Amino acid sequence: MLLNIAATERTPEIILSSQPAKLSIKGESYPEDVSAFYGQVIQAVNTLVETPEGPLDVDIQLIYINSSSIKAIFRIFEGFDEYRKKGQNVSIQWLADEDDDIMQELGEDFIDRFPNLSINTLST
Amino acid sequence: MNLSQAIGLRNELRNNKVIMAYNGAVSDDLMLTLADLLKSRMLAQDDPKRSKTIFSVFMEGVQNLIWHGGDNSDTSGMILITQDEGLVTIMCSNRIAQKDTLELRERLSQIVNADKETIRQLYREGMSSSNEHEGPGAGLGLLEIARRSSQPISYAFVDVDKDTVDFILAATI
Repeated sequence: MLLNIAATERTPEIILSSQPAKLSIKGESYPEDVSAFYGQVIQAVNTLVETPEGPLDVDIQLIYINSSSIKAIFRIFEGFDEYRKKGQNVSIQWLADEDDDIMQELGEDFIDRFPNLSINTLST
Repeated sequence: MNLSQAIGLRNELRNNKVIMAYNGAVSDDLMLTLADLLKSRMLAQDDPKRSKTIFSVFMEGVQNLIWHGGDNSDTSGMILITQDEGLVTIMCSNRIAQKDTLELRERLSQIVNADKETIRQLYREGMSSSNEHEGPGAGLGLLEIARRSSQPISYAFVDVDKDTVDFILAATI
């Protein structure tokens, strides 16, 4: 396990494992210190990029995410794109509640920004 | 303030359908407290989609005050929420340096009359921009507010003295 961060009222659960490479981000995201919280995740993903471990499977399921967390998640997606550029398969599942227009739209925004990544938006 | 002034203020708040009013220093703790209050008291009677939109605008507005509100001695923050005939308006105000208003004015003039599609495009571009000077959200929060509002956002700059200005932003959902 490369990362195993338990969820709090305002930060998501984050689990990153290798062999197989898998990242899961679930919950609320409005940390008091976004750089401190997501810095470790960005760093861990970048480490994975340096030593690719085969196909990367990503699950993202957020409830409320503030704008500074979105920018941090964007950095993580840049890591996914680097992983893809190394010839690795990256598959991202963006899960949103079927009533949650905001999270569904955000999923579409990430698809727009990362056209070369395989991102599937799924309703739960 | 004497009692009759307090009654006058109370009447003002009632007449303007104010459901939440705060004046003073804005901290992270305060944001969480008010967010809980907003969730439990107002949003309970609303539909979940709208509730989430209101919550999102509130959070971005208040986070903006925290990031640009100076230190704890800065008591010039203001949060005002009104609810009138199904429309919720969230107003946030903070005191900023005159020299910092140029970029803000430019950004606001860009989004205030933009249609939803343009705002979305600006938002998408904003997701990747990293401008530390603008705070952790770097302008994305403003676009989030504009995107979630059901009417164009409105704003004003009120001069305090030659160096400082009160900025107020209003969004209606």
